[in-house]
Amino acid sequence: MSLTEGPVKELDDKFVDLIGKFVSDIKTGKLKGSNNVALAMVTLLETIISDSQNATAYELCGAVRAAGRRVISALPHELVAANVARRMLRAIRDENRAHANQSVEASGESLQRLVLAAGARRATLGSAQQDLREPLRDQIAELRGELESSISSICGQAKEHVNGDELILTYGASAIAERFLRAAAHRKYKLILAEGAEQSESHAMANRLSAAGVSVTVISSASIYAVMSRVNKVVISVKAAMGGGAVLAEAGLHAVTQAARHYCVPVLALAPLYKLSPVHDVSHFNAYAAPHTALPYERHELATDNMHVYAPMYDFAPPDHITLFITNLGGSSPSYMYRMLSELYDLNDYVF
Amino acid sequence: MDIDKENVVQAVVIMDTFNGHFSPICDNKPMGLLPVAGVPLINYILESLSNGGVGEVILFCCKYGQKIKDYIRKCIEDKAVWSVSMDVQVMMSDTCQTMGDVMREIDAAGLIRGNFILAGVNSVTNINFASLLEQHKQTCKKDKGAAMTLVYKKLAWEHPLISADKPIFLAADANTNKVLMHQKYKQKSTEKTISLPLEIVLNHSEVKLHHNLADASIALCSPSVPPLFSDNFDFQTRDDFIHGILINEEILASSLYYTLLKGHQYAATVTNWKTYQTVCRDVLHNWTYPITFEAGTFNQNNYITMCNHIFRAKSSTLSRSCSLEEDVLIGANTQINDNTIISKSMIGKNCVIGNNVTIKGSHIMNNVVIKDNCTVVHSFIDDNCVIEEKCIIENGTMIASNVVVEAGSHLKGNILESTEVEREKTLMKSTSESTEWENESSGSGGDDFIGFEKSWSDSQSCYSSDGSDESSLPDSPVPEDTNIFLQEVIDSLARGYEEKLKNDYLILEINSSRYAYNIQLHEVNFFVVRALLSIPVLAENKNVVNTMKDILKYFRPVLANYIKTKSSIMDCLRAVEDSCIKCEWLDGKAGQILHLLYEADVVDEDSLLEWHQDLQENESPIANQPSLVKFFDWLEEASEESDESD
Repeated sequence: MSLTEGPVKELDDKFVDLIGKFVSDIKTGKLKGSNNVALAMVTLLETIISDSQNATAYELCGAVRAAGRRVISALPHELVAANVARRMLRAIRDENRAHANQSVEASGESLQRLVLAAGARRATLGSAQQDLREPLRDQIAELRGELESSISSICGQAKEHVNGDELILTYGASAIAERFLRAAAHRKYKLILAEGAEQSESHAMANRLSAAGVSVTVISSASIYAVMSRVNKVVISVKAAMGGGAVLAEAGLHAVTQAARHYCVPVLALAPLYKLSPVHDVSHFNAYAAPHTALPYERHELATDNMHVYAPMYDFAPPDHITLFITNLGGSSPSYMYRMLSELYDLNDYVF
Repeated sequence: MDIDKENVVQAVVIMDTFNGHFSPICDNKPMGLLPVAGVPLINYILESLSNGGVGEVILFCCKYGQKIKDYIRKCIEDKAVWSVSMDVQVMMSDTCQTMGDVMREIDAAGLIRGNFILAGVNSVTNINFASLLEQHKQTCKKDKGAAMTLVYKKLAWEHPLISADKPIFLAADANTNKVLMHQKYKQKSTEKTISLPLEIVLNHSEVKLHHNLADASIALCSPSVPPLFSDNFDFQTRDDFIHGILINEEILASSLYYTLLKGHQYAATVTNWKTYQTVCRDVLHNWTYPITFEAGTFNQNNYITMCNHIFRAKSSTLSRSCSLEEDVLIGANTQINDNTIISKSMIGKNCVIGNNVTIKGSHIMNNVVIKDNCTVVHSFIDDNCVIEEKCIIENGTMIASNVVVEAGSHLKGNILESTEVEREKTLMKSTSESTEWENESSGSGGDDFIGFEKSWSDSQSCYSSDGSDESSLPDSPVPEDTNIFLQEVIDSLARGYEEKLKNDYLILEINSSRYAYNIQLHEVNFFVVRALLSIPVLAENKNVVNTMKDILKYFRPVLANYIKTKSSIMDCLRAVEDSCIKCEWLDGKAGQILHLLYEADVVDEDSLLEWHQDLQENESPIANQPSLVKFFDWLEEASEESDESD
């Protein structure tokens, strides 16, 4: 029985409460940063897996899928949480497959065996009934290890990409871009920081980098195009890297990558693998934040009542604007991202 | 679940507004369940409290407590996000008539453990309560008497949240943010001047003056606030509290602070239909982010965003030929048919809108059916209404739930209630801009609308007793409360005289009625004397002057208690004047009464002369009474004699 055909599994009440706690932690701001959200999601799913009464692959998949669906419906913009749930589903499937293969006495790899195994790969979960909790524990530990080390492994590549006397441009404040740039501080490059929507955060980041010994110039986002001709590289962090090689990032980024493209400046997108999302339709993803950055509420007078003020949160940069994705596995070109996607997730789990 | 009770942030939400601003829509349902942008109001405050790090909420209901209780239970079953992080308690008390009563009740119940957040159910905000409370705690460390930090949002002066509500003038110490003066003006007040006491400027190095503030009706309170309400029976509303604290700062040893919200923080109060519309629009325009019109529901993203701030639920059905212009919210399972035009409107769940309907600037609640060829402009239609074909509904019409409007009706600013249109109040003057989103011609808009009109007169009556209203007593018709008070004092005194009760008890009785009816001290002086002269025994008795003498002798301690200072003597004399004009049994006996009062040492000579002068200047009807003239002649003679004897 394929999973997608099965009925939607109802979660236990205690799991529903756990998910509620997770959601409210994110909403109240106790849990911040995509990496922390990803780790918390792993912990949440681990609890659900280890507390499930029936630990067959089918049951576990159902529980994880239901949990993922619930989290997504409450937090449609936390793509990372959904990605972690997909990774977990993939782990369960892999584990199940490994067990299924074990039962067929393995005697060396052969072409014939690979062809035969394709059947198992087509995901029939019903056959195996063994308890998967024990083997999954290693998988979860591995996933957690990857999440914990992903930022540092991306920053470890900084030296390869940032060279001395280069002029680097980055846009807005982000934890990962800050660590990346800090890791390359000894290269004596110059940094231009274009302030994003949250100016105060950009300024704070500039201060910290400057304290770390980087020469930082803060410019307003309006003058990005003007300085772009002198820039050697653009380093950006993304909210989500999509299968087609496009990125979803902080609002205003499209202007940066467009300018970079015009001057043929390479754009490096820092994307840990947990940000890789199998979503293609981004139209409904854009959410509107409070438009105070565009027009302060104090200025909102009677006369301006007919006006519509928008402050979209995200921007979409098409694949041809990105030169290189830097993931924790190394650099890869946008056209290779679809491949990464199929390595990380199971095709059945793209849509919850 | 083991929570450290000490560190849990507490919030008190008062679930009633204690006024009829939302009549008749809120006549039979609690304010908390009035939908704002499609979501019951209570969800906004609960979600923002939960997002703001509050751990325990006390909802205090004075009316419809059961409905709120059921709603909360349902929300918890539905796993609303706030239900996980917050403990929500519903408290009910039918006896509370004002916010002051609520606070006294809370004090009596001893529910407050430390600093807490006080909010009204009608607040819509996205502020971080926990950090504001932390700020308040810091203030408390510096000033032990800090009782309350008021939360305000700075706005443009022309903003509808100010012009549709009572504007506030606030003076504060710029260094400490301590409130020095707080004044609320009437809506559309034409006062051109602000009087600022000189000592405010002299005693502080820097003073900030604010005139463009919107009250979020959110306050951060110290644990001393509920006891303060208990100690002062005359604190009825939060404004009374603020005034009381500011006037008696030394006696109560408390002070007030304020804080202004920063750019991304939004706070507003739904106080009347105009602010209701403003808040709805702001919610739709994402000013309240991250709180949206999906507040309170666990599942987000049920709406499809279209351009121009148009949102429709995924399960709604739109005809291809209908056009949505701007600022539209369409609820779940609502169906909109051909050639219908909708702009600046909220449409609830499960509605059916027919063909060729025009809806502009209106709020339509759930399960409403609007049939073909109708026009709905600037109106409010509550749940389960049916509007038959070819109706025209405009100019701030309010239609309460379960009304069927007959085909071809033309409603202009009417208020319709209940099923069979039992009562139909038509506006005396129905103007167009009453429930509009924006009123371009701001001069003619606003207060002509019955919803406002009625409510304003209500709120004025509760304001009439706070010092700012200086309409002097004898001239103005006596307001309701004071009339009752006078009657009570007369009753107490009459009974006291008949049963020869102790004067101390009578004073106590008068004082307690004073607090019950919120009477100012100078009015009490006036009314006690007025009551003394109106005791029924006097009217029944033939020999008024002798009886009067007895009465005055008996009530000497009562008078001594109230009539002490110069100003109280003047109050007393004014009361005599008033009584002599109004009570026929005292007709022509003003002189004798004054003589008795003079002999009893209640009034002194200087005041008498001053009063006499006043009488002549004002051409009072009793000024030329023979007995009065005789008395003052005698008084002057007596004084000359005493001067001579000196």
